[in-house]
Amino acid sequence: MISEKRFLQAGKHLMMGNEAMSEGAIAAGCTFFGGYPITPSTEVIEHLAKRLPEVGGVCMQMEDELASINAVMGASLVGAKAMTATSGPGLALMAETISMGANLEIPFVFCDVQRNGPGTGYVTEPHHNDIGFARFSGNGEFQIIALAPMNCQELYDLTITAFNFAEKYRCPVFLMSDAYLGHLHEVVDIPTREEILKKIIKRELPANTKGRVFSYKDPSTGEYVIPSPPIMGTEYCPGLFLHQPHGPDGLPTPKPIVFQEMLIEKITSKMDEISLTETYKLDDADIVIVSYGLPVRSSYRAVDIAREEGIKVGIFRLITVWPFPDEKVKVAVKDAKAVIVPELNYTGVIAEQVERVTKLETPVIKIPKVAEFHHPDDILKVIREVAK
Amino acid sequence: MARYEIRIAGFGGQGVITLSKMITMASSLYEGLAATQTEAYSAAARGGKCWAEVVVDKDQDVKIIDYPKALQPYDFLIILSEESASDVKPNFLKKSDTTGYLIWDPSTIKKFKSAKRIKKGLSIPVQKLAVERFGNIVFGNSILFGAFTMLAGIFSEESALETIRNFVPPNTLDTNLEAFELGKQEAIEFLKKLEEGQE
Repeated sequence: MISEKRFLQAGKHLMMGNEAMSEGAIAAGCTFFGGYPITPSTEVIEHLAKRLPEVGGVCMQMEDELASINAVMGASLVGAKAMTATSGPGLALMAETISMGANLEIPFVFCDVQRNGPGTGYVTEPHHNDIGFARFSGNGEFQIIALAPMNCQELYDLTITAFNFAEKYRCPVFLMSDAYLGHLHEVVDIPTREEILKKIIKRELPANTKGRVFSYKDPSTGEYVIPSPPIMGTEYCPGLFLHQPHGPDGLPTPKPIVFQEMLIEKITSKMDEISLTETYKLDDADIVIVSYGLPVRSSYRAVDIAREEGIKVGIFRLITVWPFPDEKVKVAVKDAKAVIVPELNYTGVIAEQVERVTKLETPVIKIPKVAEFHHPDDILKVIREVAK
Repeated sequence: MARYEIRIAGFGGQGVITLSKMITMASSLYEGLAATQTEAYSAAARGGKCWAEVVVDKDQDVKIIDYPKALQPYDFLIILSEESASDVKPNFLKKSDTTGYLIWDPSTIKKFKSAKRIKKGLSIPVQKLAVERFGNIVFGNSILFGAFTMLAGIFSEESALETIRNFVPPNTLDTNLEAFELGKQEAIEFLKKLEEGQE
């Protein structure tokens, strides 16, 4: 039984990032967490081990990462909103099953509290080095959604959004936190329970028990229809849908291309709803900063100082990092003489995406950082150089 | 932007992290200012060298601390162990009329070379006072919190007291409030002396 009384009281709370993410999950109706502790994500399992039973949920520490992700999928298949949290090395171990989750259209939320790598790396240092890994986190071709919060409030809010996206689009949804953000303490403003309930998408049984249980393209409209997920152990459970590409009824399809197209297009055709972005002083900007996560915070100050110096610079912020919003970025950088991409990694995964979108016609300047995030001066220096 | 950067350093278990959280809570929850807190991770916080940092912006219009790390020179530095005192230099503190204060505990730090060269350095034998006056070392935190509240002037005394009420077990509240008052008085006297010295 879910006890409504045990949800966090509305109002302001001082919270650690990892706790804010956990509370966001509870608010969204998560009733199952399967995970294996790993720095810097451990506070998530620690917090949920205490809190989930209080709201009628279950938190299981599994024997390893593979068991954790499988437990999450299993829980989701029987009707629970489920989540796991880990860091880079854990994502590597879980990758085996993530693609199966995408294949079976199982909704779940994956919190990646990113740390420095490769391999063991510097375990307590932030590093957005899983941003590419999350996008390509399994064998085969499938589309995931990834969200990048930049403060504790967003860790709470976007976790709710992540659960909604998982339910609505039936795909793995990644929350790309990091070691610094996960351990940062900030005030989080919790809405009232009524407001939250209005926002969240509940897991409901499909209206028609004999109807289609998997996504399909409606031939009359050409649009993708994503039905509620089937729930095993009820009459809604399709007889056979494992291991092979399946059609909308859950039965194997002889047309792999139709299935393949559906897995990707059901998400990329809904970019209007999925792609969350923000802009800052962008209207008349001829230098555009494209960024996500923590470096955006430093960019604010850099832009403010540069503006005082008469440099027309603005920010285009990606909240939804994947699928990459090609069209929106194209519009944002249309009149730019240069694009600056401060990224908390060495290779510039998102910078490469910007280069792809601009077809290399506009210079894209990377500001790489490893295991520590940008000081506003790091960004300001580049803005001044570009403006010369 | 009226940004204050605070660093507290000592060893794990001394209350370094608790004090930083109290400062953050008073500033953000009760004073309504944007604030962030970060702390030493895991093993370091349990017996090893421990630190915590708080960034607060006194400007009510600032909704988010853009860069959440505290960097040298700090506005306030609280040093509680000899090990953390060993690498402190006078230029760790900001040169400013309203800030640039050091608070340290001579009952845990025997050698603090730089302290002599820091004019705005307030030494309070926190651990000694806590044991002598209140019978338990844990009350040291409220003494420090009182002194900081007075020196910094970032948040009101009301916000500070509300924070203590939120933080401590109810049966120790009165003692904690006394400890807070003691720290506050130490800071008031110190500020008075400092002002006289300048004249």
